[in-house]
Amino acid sequence: MKLIKPVSTLLTLIPSIAYIPILIEIIKGFHIGGLNIIFLFISSAIKPSFNQELVKSAWEGLQITISTALTSWVISMLIGIILGVLSTDLFWKSIPKFSYLGKFIKYSLAIPRSIHEVVWGLLFIQILGLNIWVAIISIVIPYSALTARVISEQLDSFDIQPLIAIKQTGSNIMSSFITILLPKLIPIISTYGSYRFECAIRGVTLLGIFGLGGIGTELYLTLKSFEFNEMWTCLWMLWLVIILLEKFIRFLRSYFSEDISLKNSFLISISIFALSLSLGISWLYNLNFELFAPLRFSYLDLPSFVEIRNGFNTLPLLKLIITTIIITVFASGIAIGTPPLLLVLFPGKFPLKLQNLIWIFFRLIPPPLTTILILFFTNPTISVAALSLGITHMGVMGRLLTDSILNQEKSIYRAIKNNGSSKQSATLYGILAPQSNSYLAYGAYRSDVILKETAIIGAVGGVGLGWQLQESLSSFDWAQVMIITATFSLLTISGEFLFSTSQNYWLKNSTNNFSS
Amino acid sequence: MYKKHLATKIKKISFSFLSIFNLFTIGSLKADEILRIGAIPDQNPEHLNRLYKILSSELSEQLNVQVRYKPVTNYAAAVTSFRTGNLDLVWFGALTGVQARLQSKGSKVIAQRDIDEKFHSVFIANKKSSIQKINNINDLKTLKNKRFTFGSESSTSGRLMPQYFLNKAGVQLKDFKAGRPGFSGSHDATLMLVQSGSYEAGVLSEEVWKRNLERGRMDPSKVFLIWKTPSYHNYHWLAQGNLDKKFKKGFTKELTNVFLRFNEKSKKQKQILELFSAKKFIISKNENYNKIEKVARKIGKVK
Repeated sequence: MKLIKPVSTLLTLIPSIAYIPILIEIIKGFHIGGLNIIFLFISSAIKPSFNQELVKSAWEGLQITISTALTSWVISMLIGIILGVLSTDLFWKSIPKFSYLGKFIKYSLAIPRSIHEVVWGLLFIQILGLNIWVAIISIVIPYSALTARVISEQLDSFDIQPLIAIKQTGSNIMSSFITILLPKLIPIISTYGSYRFECAIRGVTLLGIFGLGGIGTELYLTLKSFEFNEMWTCLWMLWLVIILLEKFIRFLRSYFSEDISLKNSFLISISIFALSLSLGISWLYNLNFELFAPLRFSYLDLPSFVEIRNGFNTLPLLKLIITTIIITVFASGIAIGTPPLLLVLFPGKFPLKLQNLIWIFFRLIPPPLTTILILFFTNPTISVAALSLGITHMGVMGRLLTDSILNQEKSIYRAIKNNGSSKQSATLYGILAPQSNSYLAYGAYRSDVILKETAIIGAVGGVGLGWQLQESLSSFDWAQVMIITATFSLLTISGEFLFSTSQNYWLKNSTNNFSS
Repeated sequence: MYKKHLATKIKKISFSFLSIFNLFTIGSLKADEILRIGAIPDQNPEHLNRLYKILSSELSEQLNVQVRYKPVTNYAAAVTSFRTGNLDLVWFGALTGVQARLQSKGSKVIAQRDIDEKFHSVFIANKKSSIQKINNINDLKTLKNKRFTFGSESSTSGRLMPQYFLNKAGVQLKDFKAGRPGFSGSHDATLMLVQSGSYEAGVLSEEVWKRNLERGRMDPSKVFLIWKTPSYHNYHWLAQGNLDKKFKKGFTKELTNVFLRFNEKSKKQKQILELFSAKKFIISKNENYNKIEKVARKIGKVK
């Protein structure tokens, strides 16, 4: 009997090597001085505060976060779909004269998505002041560009023969384009769209930590004043709402998977978008946001050439870039390596379901909060930044892995186990192996996200480009802000290229594809 | 029949346009009559919300204008909201106040608390570290090669003035362990992180240090004070320069006087003073912050 090739299976475990240097550094700096605080943090989990004022303001914060996420999600999906279609080669085949436009759109979209939503937020605050549109715009810009990329890649991977055939019959190019494209577009939108919505909630929560309101702000402020009971109230509420939303979305999607005609599914998509948009906007309006008040722009003076040169001279760019890369590598290792490791260490159906629930929780704790908590029992080092960033994304990866395993055929696992292998190795070969290629492909994409997210970490340790950006922003030094943002953008664009190459490699060898 | 239908349609459309237009004009009219106040987020939000609810109602009563408190949750956002004109009157720290004033022409420092005239920072250390109490500024040198944390990067008492005194003693940021200091994000976090031992030393506002001492959140067996800085001017109320034009002639003066008149005889005012942990408000002026501006320029927080 030929067993499944174990190579990529073992590769899913290899990233967890990152734990070795990180744990060494953390243990070296370990001290018990903060243990009582950690204990307080953990014990507060079972006695969250039920103070009426607090619950009220947390509930309001949650509403702000969800309605903002909903609004920016719809807008970014709509823009993303249009830009996505416009940047396919397929679309411009019908108008070959302007096909350079398609390429132009495709490549220029790399810039908006190379910058993290929090960085967009911090920049837009400077121009628009505190305004709910800052949060919406900062989510919409990178998310539309990301959606556009996924949609154009998926569409371009389809066979274009039918389109050519229809074109040759002489029918209207646009209408034939729609008839062929639409049935392919809708399933992508339904799966990718619901994933994006969840990202939007995470994104708005993070923006809140940086002062843009909502549950993120509540979380950060309760932690800042060390009111752990209050912090847990916010965390539990956020967790509950996310689980309920997830269930609701699954329920909606089950409608899609049933056989419904193209026309109906198109109408359903349109009405979901329309409903969500009106719900999001009216909700925000009800929460007393001046949505329709005219925006006040406050223009910033562009830095002069001399200022930019001075900025280059004063910033330790190389050092900042290296730290940023190190944080990314270690955080990715933890994020990608932990879930498969736990799966092998704790096999079985019940642990799997438990892990599935735990991962949702990890995914929700914003990295800046984890940083402070970890700092209570160890000394400040780069490892702390890497660990806290890794933990959140470990939640995302773990959830994905356990989800797809729960939906996967158990036949291989049973066959191997009946052969007399242990539970562990049956898990390794029977459960992990069929997933590993697509898991690694998704991991490559995650590393890309982690690189972008280093922008928001490092404040407490004072490390990396992210911290320097905060420092320069709070000094209102536009030359430095410009240099750092540009460096970040360049770094992530090259990262994206690198990661998408490796992602394609894993996808080519993959049997099931859940990352789309 | 058809004509009638069209007529009602046109009527409906014009009504809706009018009402939308109306909505906008109402919005802008109202906006001009409201005094929008804010504060930098240096305390827990519940406290700020309580404090500013009472203050808004008191100011509204005394000045006969609508007052609205807009919570701001990020130091830089407070400065920006002042620059973009979203806020008329803001409770700033010395550094953020200087930054905001330099970015909004004509704005004016009007008042501050009695304790803000002589504000101090305290350097603290963990008992397990080898750091000793010091008497002389030059002894700050003992902090070299130690794990050291500031508070928020925009804080006057948690970063700006301490960094100035450190530099004076010949300690640069790169002299700390790992070649950089930490930035804990808040005074409370600094205290907790030094107390836990993650950082061997740190610096925070004396006001917060004393408050934690009173509330018993500070553990004297783990953390102690090593040095108190000389005094400097800190928090203040900064008002936009156009308030007289926006409301009425002499409005800024009147506003200042309302603050100066706050006393413990009125129940509401007593509450406000307590929440501000002040005995009274005193007059203040832009020039009080010249030294802060100079220090900020030297350190690079003001260009």
